[in-house]
Order: sequence, then C-alpha cells, then structure tokens
Amino acid sequence: MHMKSERFALGVVLLVLLGLPGLVFGYQKWRSTIPGLRVIDLVGYAPAAGGWQPENIRVNLGERVLLRIYAPDVVHGFAVPALGLDVPEIYPGKVVEVVFTASQVGRFPFACTRWCSQDHWRMRGEIEVVDPKDPDALPTHRSEQPVYQQLGIDLDAMRIHVDPPELLPSAARGREIGVELPPEMADPTWVRPYAPVEIFDQLRADRALTGLSDQQFWDLLAYAWEGTLTRQSMETGQKLYARDCAACHGESGRGYGPAGRELPGMSAMHPGMETGPADFTDITKLFSASDALLQGKVLRGGMGIGMPEWGSLYTDEEMWAVVAHLRSFGYELSRELLP
Amino acid sequence: MARVELTRYPFLKGLLRSRWLPWAFMVITLPFFVLAILASLFGTPAGNRNFGIVFVWIVWWALVILLFVPAAGRLWCALCPIPAPGEWLQRRAFINPRLKGKLYTLGWKWPKRLNGMWLQNAAFLGVALFSAVILTTPSVSGWVLAAFMLVAVASSLAYERRVFCRYLCPVGGFIGLYAQLAPLELRVKDRAVCAAHKEKSCYIGSESGYGCPWLVFPAALQKNNYCGLCTECLKTCPLDNVALLVRPLGADLQAVQGRRMDEAYKGFIMLTCALVYSLVLTGPWAVLKETAFAVGSPSWFVYALVFLSANLVGVPGAFLLCVWLGRRWGDKSAQLSLRRLFVDYAYALVPLGLAAWGAFSLSFVLVNFSYAWPVLSDPLGWGWNLFGTAGWKWTPYLPGLIPYLQVPVILVGLVGAIGVALGTASGHKSQPKAALPVVAFCAAFGLALLWLCVG
Repeated sequence: MHMKSERFALGVVLLVLLGLPGLVFGYQKWRSTIPGLRVIDLVGYAPAAGGWQPENIRVNLGERVLLRIYAPDVVHGFAVPALGLDVPEIYPGKVVEVVFTASQVGRFPFACTRWCSQDHWRMRGEIEVVDPKDPDALPTHRSEQPVYQQLGIDLDAMRIHVDPPELLPSAARGREIGVELPPEMADPTWVRPYAPVEIFDQLRADRALTGLSDQQFWDLLAYAWEGTLTRQSMETGQKLYARDCAACHGESGRGYGPAGRELPGMSAMHPGMETGPADFTDITKLFSASDALLQGKVLRGGMGIGMPEWGSLYTDEEMWAVVAHLRSFGYELSRELLP
Repeated sequence: MARVELTRYPFLKGLLRSRWLPWAFMVITLPFFVLAILASLFGTPAGNRNFGIVFVWIVWWALVILLFVPAAGRLWCALCPIPAPGEWLQRRAFINPRLKGKLYTLGWKWPKRLNGMWLQNAAFLGVALFSAVILTTPSVSGWVLAAFMLVAVASSLAYERRVFCRYLCPVGGFIGLYAQLAPLELRVKDRAVCAAHKEKSCYIGSESGYGCPWLVFPAALQKNNYCGLCTECLKTCPLDNVALLVRPLGADLQAVQGRRMDEAYKGFIMLTCALVYSLVLTGPWAVLKETAFAVGSPSWFVYALVFLSANLVGVPGAFLLCVWLGRRWGDKSAQLSLRRLFVDYAYALVPLGLAAWGAFSLSFVLVNFSYAWPVLSDPLGWGWNLFGTAGWKWTPYLPGLIPYLQVPVILVGLVGAIGVALGTASGHKSQPKAALPVVAFCAAFGLALLWLCVG
C-alpha cells in the first residue's frame, strides 16, 4: 500500500517536473506545423539590441507564409510596402500574425514603422521570394531607374537659392489672377525635373504674362502645382510623412522633430553630425529643389546627417506623394485638397 | 482568551492528519512554480505578458500579503513548492516516512551563530535592493526563483530538516513575523502531556511521520513565527495533544516575553521597505524608479546606500531615539536596558508593517490584476490563446476605491501598533507615557503612508 502511494506520488511529481516543460515546448512546436502554411517567427528588437531577427527571410514562390511577429522590448511596427503588409503596432509581449502568399519573385524590404529607438530607421530586413527552379533570379521590386538618376542630378551639389516671395505662394490667389497657364504645367511628370524657381523664370519670360508682379508669378506657380495633386496622394503623403519623417523634421516641417532636436548625435552610428534635419519651411531652399531632387534625397537618404533611405520601402506613388507633402510646406493650398 | 479548536471536527482533523498533506498542496502549487520559471527564462521579456512576473509578483503576492498572512499566518508555507523537491530528496519519500522519519542528509548541523532571522533579513534586503529589476525582468526573476529552489534542495541535502525555510527563505521571514497577527495557530493542548511523553515523537519523528521539519518542539510553541503549519506534529502525536485553533487577532503580540533583536530588525526592514517601495515603485517620481532600475550605475549606488542605511540605521536609529525618550519618561522602563526596550517596542511595527504592505499591495494589485487573464491563456507570451483570454485588455479594477481601502487598512494597522506599544509599556509595568514616543513614531509613519497613498 505504501509503495503504491509512493509510486503514484512519484508519477505525479515527474509529470509536473518533466511533463509540464515537455507540454509547453511540445505545444509551441505543434503550433508551428500548420498544414499549408509555413510558419516563421520574426522577432523585432530595437536596432541597438539586434533589430529584426531574422533579418532575411527566404521563401519559395507560391508558398503561403504565416509570420508570427514578436516585439520583446518596445512597441514596433512592421511593413512590407511592396507586398501590401502593414502592422502599425506590435506591443511588447503580444504576438501579431500576418499571412501572405509569396506570389511574386523578388526582394521585398520590410521595416519597423514606429520610432522605436534612436536608430529606428536601421530596423530593416528583407523577404526574398525565390523560384525554386531558378533561385538566383531575384529582381528588386523597383525595376525602373529613379528620375533623379535618369536626369543625372547630383544630390549633394550646392543649389542656387532664390529671393523668396513676400508672401507664401497661394493657389487661391493664383487662381484669382485668371490667366491661362501652359497645359504641360498640369502634368506632374513635366514638372518633376524643374525646380520651382526654374518654372518661375519660365513664366516670367512668357510675354503673355507681362505686367504681373513676382508675387503673382509665385502664386500662379502654386496654382499650377496644385493642379497636379489629388486628395488621395496628399493623404498618402501626409500619412507617410507623419510615420517616417516627422520624428526628425517635425510635424510642421521646420526640422525640430523630437528626434531631430537631438541632432547632432541622433544616430549612435553618427555621433559627429553637425547639421540637423532639413527645414522644409525654408522656401529659398525648397524652391531651388526640383521634385526629382527631393525624390533622390528621400530615396537615397544620407546627406551626411544619417538620414534613412526610403527608396527600398516606398512604391513610386508613395515616393511622389511624400515629395508632394514636402513641397506643400512652401505653398498655401486650397482647403479642399488638404487632408 | 477565547479559542476555537478546529481539529475537534473529525473531518478536518482526519484531513490534517492524512499523510497526503502537505504533498497534495505542494503538487498543486508546484506546476505554477515550474511554469513561472519556464515563462521567466524562456518566455517574453515583457513582464506584463509573462506568467513568471504576473503570477508571482502580482497574483501570488496579492494572495500572500492580502489573504494568507492576515487570515492564516504561515499557511502559505504549507503550500509552498520551493522546499518540496529538497524535502522529498531528503526523505527519499513523498508520502510515507521511512524508518521512523529517518532523513537522508549529510547530517550537518546548522551553525548556532546563524540561528534566528538574520540571514532571512539579509536575503530579504538583497532581494528588495534589486526588486525594481527582479519584479519587472522575467529572466532575472526566473533565476532568482530557480536559485531559491536550488538553495532549498542543497540545504535539504546537507542539513537536517527544512533549514532553508527556517533560516534562509526571505519570504518565510516576513511571513513568520506577520503570522503573529493571524487568527490561526497550531499549539499543543496540554503541555503537561508533552512533558510526560518521553518519546517526543513530534520532534524526533515516528512511524507516523517526521520530526518537526521546522526544528520546533511543539510544546514550546508560543508564537506563530516558526511554525510552518506542515501538520507533521498532528500526525506524529500519539496522544492527540496537538490542535489547530482559531484565536483572536494579534494574540502573539500580547506578551512581551520572547521578543528578539533579529525579529525586531525584520520589523524595521519590512516597514522601511514598504515605505521605500511606495515611494519608488508606485510613487510619481520616475527618477526614483529609473535609479532603482539602473543597477550598477553611480546613481544606483547612491540609491543602494540610502536604501540600506535607511533600513539598517536610519529608521532603527530614529526608533531608538523614541525608545530612549520613552525610557526617560517611563518610571519602570528606566530599570530595563535600552536594548531590551528597543526590541520589545519594535513589535509595535508588526501590525503597522503588515498594514503598510497591505496598502502598498492594494495600490498595484487592483490596478494590475487584469494582466493575469492574458497570461493565463498565453503564459510565455508566445501568441497562445488557451482559454480565450489572451486578448483581454488591461483594466484597472476599482481604481477609485483603492484609497478608501488603503486608508482603513493603514488606520487599523496604526491602531494595532499603538495597542502593541501601550501593551508593551504595560507588560513592563510602566506608565503608558513611556510608549508615547513610539506611538508618535508609528503615527508619523502612518501619516507618511497615508500621504503616499492618498495625499
């Protein structure tokens, strides 16, 4: 009887001491085998603690993938813009699951979308979708050369500065002038290579527009530029700016975002930085820069101040939407266009 | 004094005398402990989503300090899984005793100079000093819990009986101190019966059970401090002379005899820590919390110095000053040594200390208890949802009510402290005014606690 009870007690104790750990790890293992799904654990640490782990995820074309994303330290976000995946918040200790089908061969960068730490922007990774039949064929999602490269713009060259107008150029005042503008000015692709000051010079040289003041030319420019915009692109631009740019450049674009104020030294990797983020309300500089130039800067980053590159994360539409938002700091736009 | 013997009820008596207790209790709490260690070491580092943090430092803590200790004294010690593996190895049995309660240890004797609560005081101070990290960082918490169990196992294999519980456990120390207030006690019914009983099976052991694991001779029990309610003596007493009793609150604090310096210091440490915790962990001063968390930084060393000084010198020093003043005022007190008075009056801090811990615990337990539901479903923060509660949001429970609970708790503690202080003066056959400086000390502490809670 005694031996029987001892054996029973031993069994229960062993069940607790050995069975419970086995149950915990076994259950977790079992959860990772879902028929028809490849389960990948993705852990996001702040960059100083290691960033995304794993940083590179390789999946086969046609695979259905379940990403289990953990954020052990602080709140992170997760986005793979080219695959349309966007998780705005991953709270520490919570697990977010994202399912996608690898339907297209390519390299698809992913990134944290929350300002998680000093070097937040370094928190990047890449999903590689390969065709098992030809695993070396891996185009990037951006196949076309960016406009600034097509135009051969040197992003780091000094720009001319302009004499700023007295008042911020206003689209409404430009409309009220009531003159007919060259139709190409309504085409954003025509506008992109030119700095506003160059278009301003072209307008001023137009004999049909003689008699207008410089301020009126600037207002006409604002009016013409407004015609290239849509409300949707403005909303996209504002959303991305708020998510990715405002922390340094500030909500108002003045370069005094909470992370920007800390410059120099915003990045642990660039402790010697001497200048801070650009002030987009400085229209003498803004009007000297073409959309193509701004695209290049956003796309490449750097600038000697540790600005992140966004080229690998934005689609073309998103990129131009962000450029438009930057441009909007120099103009007074009509209310109906504003998000 | 009125007492109700619970063991006169045959069912309860039969239950307590069963050899399946306390094993059955321990195998219920052991899985929680194992899961807490697993979650702490392998689960999410986010404390509020980790079973090891939430269930140990919120749920278990709430149960111990708000329920077990005030209502049942050391009952938790009978359920605690930490000494269980060591004890089972020591006994080479789970349920039934081998060879009249023989223990398989190296047979080392616990050094006499280490008797008492001093090591428990040091262990508690050590844990308390690093508590900002231990209570919030699962991996650290997990290693601390694992270390408790390893030390318990090692001490069980080397020494006789439960020296870990008796002399080392930092939790057991304060539970023992505050168990003096509890309305539950285990005592012998008639000491003369024990005196006449030559075998002393309650201490030596017998075929029915082990000698007291807590190294206590039940007939000498006058206070709850060192009785772990393991019920071995109920099983081994052949004369049915041991009883579990319900008694008036704070019964152990009515007599001044048997008061000790190590226990007095436990009272100072507990009271000071409750105040420091209220300041640092739940107070509005983020800089204090950050400093306590920044272990190893220059500011942390300052914090450590202040913390230890306050516990070991500052608060006891202020108290000593009050006792010295009382000695000058009280006629008969002057005949007692300052050390004796210091120790005796320090027991006034027992009810105040428990009240302080109760008030402090109410503030964070009600606010944070809702973290328990998600970790129940997802103990390791791995994205599980076992019971469908993983997504339950954090919701503070009755936050508006907390001050209304804290204030009476502190006031009851203060009244208890004043009662013990006056009782101590009376026990010394001194006039009540001898206790007034100590009463003032307790009132000042009570006011400080009230200010921190509702001020």
